[in-house]
Amino acid sequence: MSEPQRTPKSQSPDFSAWVDLHGDYLYKYAIFRLRDGSAAEDCVQETFLAALKAYRGFEGRGSERTWLVGILKHKVTDHFRRVTREAPIGETEGEEFEHNEFFTRTDEWNNHWSNAYAPSDWHATPSELVERSDFWKVLNDCLSPLPERTASAFTLREVDGLTSEQICEALNITVNNLWVMLHRARLHLRNCLEINWFTKETTD
Amino acid sequence: MALKAYDKIKHAVRWWLLRRLPTCKQTVKVISESMERRLSLWERITVKLHLWICLWCVWYLEHLHLMRNTIRSKAAQEPNLDSSSLPPLSAEARERLKLRLSQPND
Repeated sequence: MSEPQRTPKSQSPDFSAWVDLHGDYLYKYAIFRLRDGSAAEDCVQETFLAALKAYRGFEGRGSERTWLVGILKHKVTDHFRRVTREAPIGETEGEEFEHNEFFTRTDEWNNHWSNAYAPSDWHATPSELVERSDFWKVLNDCLSPLPERTASAFTLREVDGLTSEQICEALNITVNNLWVMLHRARLHLRNCLEINWFTKETTD
Repeated sequence: MALKAYDKIKHAVRWWLLRRLPTCKQTVKVISESMERRLSLWERITVKLHLWICLWCVWYLEHLHLMRNTIRSKAAQEPNLDSSSLPPLSAEARERLKLRLSQPND
């Protein structure tokens, strides 16, 4: 599909055509980060409304889509900010994802990997995984039990590659909080993927 | 015979080291932090030694990088999001959006 004819600056663009042209793209962008359909739809709506207001300011430099994605990026971060600002971080948030049972042994090697949870060889590469839509489904399912803030921190770090400072500011946490959250998210996700993706794959 | 003795020594060295190094539980935390900050010299040495004798933690490190690289390559495909397998807007959501945009000042 080609870009629409750009409307003259003074005239309002056809917004319903905007939804048809860019709606799916923006929604996919948002849902990849938020994993929640209604939150993604809200962000897309806010993006279009902000674009509507700012349209006069849009000089037509670059494509409309790039401009819209730029707005959406902020809306997604605002969403993370909103859900996490409302609830200050508690002492025990996400403690169960420390997964002490992974390292509980009855022999002399307590605090080393328990045989039941120890990693195995995955024989996988990013390029093959990235194409598997079922892999993304499993990954999302694995992310969903994590506390909202922990999952958001992981997404901002790994999907958008934000710096620690940017994430700490958005989520209202210290850098030590962030490192603990990322560690728990990774420990949990790795195990969940091993059980639900890598073990299943070989037994199917 | 010599080989057997060598194996025995190697085993003993590994056992001795693993008793003195940080445990797997402590090491996986440092492995995660190595993706966030530069480790101190001491941390780098102890993690290296731990990885030398613990294949489980080697795989752990590999898996964390695999997850990061897979997610980042997915994000890098974003210019082609239209053809990706992510769900598109539902018909109802599309209508809701159009309706909302036609009354922007409400």
